[in-house]
Amino acid sequence: MAVPAALTESQIYHRCPPEKLDFETTETLEDLDLPFGQDRVLRALEFGASMAASGFNLFVLGPTGAGKHELVKRFLASHAAAKPVPPDWCHLFNFQQSDKPGAIELPPGDGRTFRSDMDDLVGELKTAVPATFESEEYQSRIQELQEEVNRRQQKGLLVIQEEANANNIAMVSTPAGFSFAPMRNGEVIEPEEYETFSNEEKELVEAKVEDLQQKLQQAIQQVPRLRKEVRERVHQLNEEMVQLTLGGPIGELREKWAHVPAVVAHLDAVREDIVEHAEAFQDNEKGAPTGLLNRYRVNLLVDNAETLGAPVVYEDLPTHQHLSGQIEHRARQGNLYTDFTLIRAGSLHRANGGYLILDARRILTQPLAWESLKRILFSGEIRIESLERLYGLATTVSQQPEPIPLNVKVVLLGDRMLYYLLAHYDPDFLDLFKVEADFEDDLDRDDSSYTLYARMIATMARASGLKVLDKAAVARVIEHASRLASDQKKLTAHDRVLRDLLAEADHWACQDNQSLISAEHVQQAIDEREYRASRIRERSLEQIRRGVMMIATEGAQVGQVNGLSVMQIGATRFGQPARITATARPGKGQVVDIEREAKLGGPIHSKAVMILSRFLANRYAPMGELSLSASLAFEQSYGGVEGDSASVAETCVLLSAITGVPLKQSLAVTGSMNQHGEVQAVGGVNEKVEGFFNVCALSGRVDGQGVLLPASNVEHLMLNEQVREAVREERFSVYPISHIDQAIELLIGMKAGVPDADGIYPENTFNRLVADRLAEFAEVSKKHDDDTSGSGGNRGDNNGDH
Amino acid sequence: MVTTTATTDKPKAPLSAGRVLILLDGSRLSHAALEAAAEIASARNAEVLGIFVEETNLLRAAGYGFAREVGGSSGLARPFDAAALEARMQALAVQARSSLQQTMAGRGLVQTLKLCRGRVAEEVLNLMQPEDLIVLGRAGWSGIPGSRLGSTARDLARQAPGDVLLWAAPRTQRQDRVVVLLNHDQGANHRAIRLGVEEARRSNQPLSVLIRTNPEDDQRVAEGVRAYLQSEGIAGRVKQVPVASAHAVVRVLQEEGATQLIVSRTSSLFADRGAEALLSELNLPITVTP
Repeated sequence: MAVPAALTESQIYHRCPPEKLDFETTETLEDLDLPFGQDRVLRALEFGASMAASGFNLFVLGPTGAGKHELVKRFLASHAAAKPVPPDWCHLFNFQQSDKPGAIELPPGDGRTFRSDMDDLVGELKTAVPATFESEEYQSRIQELQEEVNRRQQKGLLVIQEEANANNIAMVSTPAGFSFAPMRNGEVIEPEEYETFSNEEKELVEAKVEDLQQKLQQAIQQVPRLRKEVRERVHQLNEEMVQLTLGGPIGELREKWAHVPAVVAHLDAVREDIVEHAEAFQDNEKGAPTGLLNRYRVNLLVDNAETLGAPVVYEDLPTHQHLSGQIEHRARQGNLYTDFTLIRAGSLHRANGGYLILDARRILTQPLAWESLKRILFSGEIRIESLERLYGLATTVSQQPEPIPLNVKVVLLGDRMLYYLLAHYDPDFLDLFKVEADFEDDLDRDDSSYTLYARMIATMARASGLKVLDKAAVARVIEHASRLASDQKKLTAHDRVLRDLLAEADHWACQDNQSLISAEHVQQAIDEREYRASRIRERSLEQIRRGVMMIATEGAQVGQVNGLSVMQIGATRFGQPARITATARPGKGQVVDIEREAKLGGPIHSKAVMILSRFLANRYAPMGELSLSASLAFEQSYGGVEGDSASVAETCVLLSAITGVPLKQSLAVTGSMNQHGEVQAVGGVNEKVEGFFNVCALSGRVDGQGVLLPASNVEHLMLNEQVREAVREERFSVYPISHIDQAIELLIGMKAGVPDADGIYPENTFNRLVADRLAEFAEVSKKHDDDTSGSGGNRGDNNGDH
Repeated sequence: MVTTTATTDKPKAPLSAGRVLILLDGSRLSHAALEAAAEIASARNAEVLGIFVEETNLLRAAGYGFAREVGGSSGLARPFDAAALEARMQALAVQARSSLQQTMAGRGLVQTLKLCRGRVAEEVLNLMQPEDLIVLGRAGWSGIPGSRLGSTARDLARQAPGDVLLWAAPRTQRQDRVVVLLNHDQGANHRAIRLGVEEARRSNQPLSVLIRTNPEDDQRVAEGVRAYLQSEGIAGRVKQVPVASAHAVVRVLQEEGATQLIVSRTSSLFADRGAEALLSELNLPITVTP
């Protein structure tokens, strides 16, 4: 198999061709309304926003900082502008059931008018109704009523008194009432004298007294009825007066609001109620009680007077109360009171008829908020429930406002993991959030995308109030965007990273007293950022320089190779070589993964080691027994080892250990391998190459070193300037490999060899060496087995095989 | 039968004018009147004489075996027994005495309670001197709803030699004026005005003097009243009102915002038959001067 040629500079770095950028500075570039390359998200948004059926709410998924929020807001703002403004909603006092305030819908903007109309009416009630009660007319009518009743009461008594007097009987006042006794000349007759009367006379007197008593009783017992009658008549009079007073203002309002039947009905109820409580308005010292008057006011819950198009609301603190609204209380002398005027709208009310944007993570971390949102979306109406009532902690009488019908699109923003977890664990989730808008992490980098990406950068810079970028700076940003995407054919779509980069470049341009951001500033921003995050990397390199961590970059060694690993700490990643060693001796055909045995290896790593052991067996002992006891270890690795990107390196080191042929230490290897020896792509190639380069540079000068990586990873390379310089000067090489044999040839400098039709490798090839060596192992094992079986078979070569 | 009690913890202060008599019968209104009497007596530094009369007619009526008491509010009839009535009267007397003592002692006034038996009006008239003031509730027990003048009040207002204050609980606080109602040609004007000035000063309320005048009468009476008020150093409103029906007078009084009315017995107002009833409907404390 031919050894691949080292990659050229243009292969390890995809420059931004200057001719593709048709401008001098970003000043001349137009803003980009919607981001490019996010067609899937945009189509999903378009569909979700227009789809009227219920349950078609949206979940926009993408990594944090990808600019989901910005995009969704911008998209919805333009989409909503063309939609009708939703109605206003008011809560009104319910005169039938005072704890269940009613809700009415008004054309947008009418809510305010209605509220001020009702405020005016209340103001008028304060003055007009007491004025009516103070009027001459009312006073004299009331007086007439009173006088009439008094007259009737007194008349009853007077008649009895007169009748008594006429019959010579006195009606005497007692402490508790009245009594009758015979009299003469205005004085009650002494009882002793009365005794002298004849029996006929006595009978006559007593019969009369009895009669008078009964009449008096009847007269007195009429009094409550009379009083009731007068009360009724007063009430009737009050009604009459109030009707007359309110006829004008309420009539006007009824006419004005004739187009909203609910308002007309409410006005009628208000009039009824005022008449009912007319007496309360009579106290012109203090006026009618405020509590009474407040019942006629309007609680304007949703005011869309100034809304243009459908509302787009972002709730940054999506608690249960903020979503569904709440009923506040007013503290008065240590007690808490509430009424319908203290009902407050939630963001669902405000977004009704439009769009509500929520952060999925935030709503999930607020107690009950997620459940409440789902319940409201399912029921299609907003019912205000306080948390303490939901929990059953408070059973005090409170308001139960009439639910308001809901027609809202909820747009949840969250990362992918949340979406998949919700989809998996929440059975309601997919019923309610049927539209999945998946954000693209990376954008295609092709000829057409340069201008668009440049415009995107220009838009970003302008939106953030940054300086203008010149052409070279844009090119540098584009190249860095490819590096961030770890792909020569992609550009990162990660909004936050780009914004930060531009802001930092702007800062350095300011420091430099430049009016434009140039490529140097972008580079400085990249370098500074890397430097700030480089403490751990520097420490790690120091360990290698001082020989604490043993990495060889020169010479050749048996059973030892430079693997490449990537460390991720926070947002920064860097590559670092790792020494992988192997041992081999005859045994039962097992390769021991020391990392796994020590429980430091992850499952993927174990899988890779199993693959390589099957590869060995299949390749070198297809017909016989693989008699091998080998071990593999990452030296000086005390953390975990995971991933299969070391499997090419592990294969090479194992073969070196088997054959005793040394491996070049100036090369580092990365790549995963399948059972047929084909090399497969891995991640983090840029960091790995740069990491090894940095280690090589520790000795002062890089000369002759290089890295082997999967050929399929070549298009992911966006290596930094130092590496590119060394590659240009042929001091450092990057070899794309597609098969394990290529790695062997590069690392050993010997032909790998291709088996003939019988499966025999040619002489003087490395594979022949391996096959022969394994055959020797098998021989030794067989002999050993024969010996031990002869001597009782109590000794087996199972040493180190576990 | 006359019993006299007196508290004489303090040396007698010299009396500027006559005594203040207060008629006590244990009714609610008489308690209110007691307070008013105490205020006046305190301002005048006058001796107080409480009068509690056991009505002969009542005692006699209770002596009849067939007598029943019909409840004033409930209309229920129940046996009316002499012994029970006696006991009740005694209890009322004791109560009257203690409330009189308490009320007056608080103000450091000298008080005496007279317990009498007979006809109330007669007994009071017997005890009263021309310079005395008698204070009594406008109606007694027989607080018939709709309140009219009790017979005793009516008799005293007509016959008493001195001033008679018919007490009524004022209804609202809106009115705040002492109003004196005069005849244009009234000889006893000075007594009413003097009392008005005194009341206005005591209760710290503005004073109005209304003079019933015919168009042909000269203006000197009003001038004289003004001069008198000025000499007393009190700012009062002097108004001439036409001689009209009692109804019109009542209306004028309402408009004036009267809390108290002072009127002479000889006022031409009383020529009107319904005057008393109308005045009682005003529900004001009314002082009738001789």
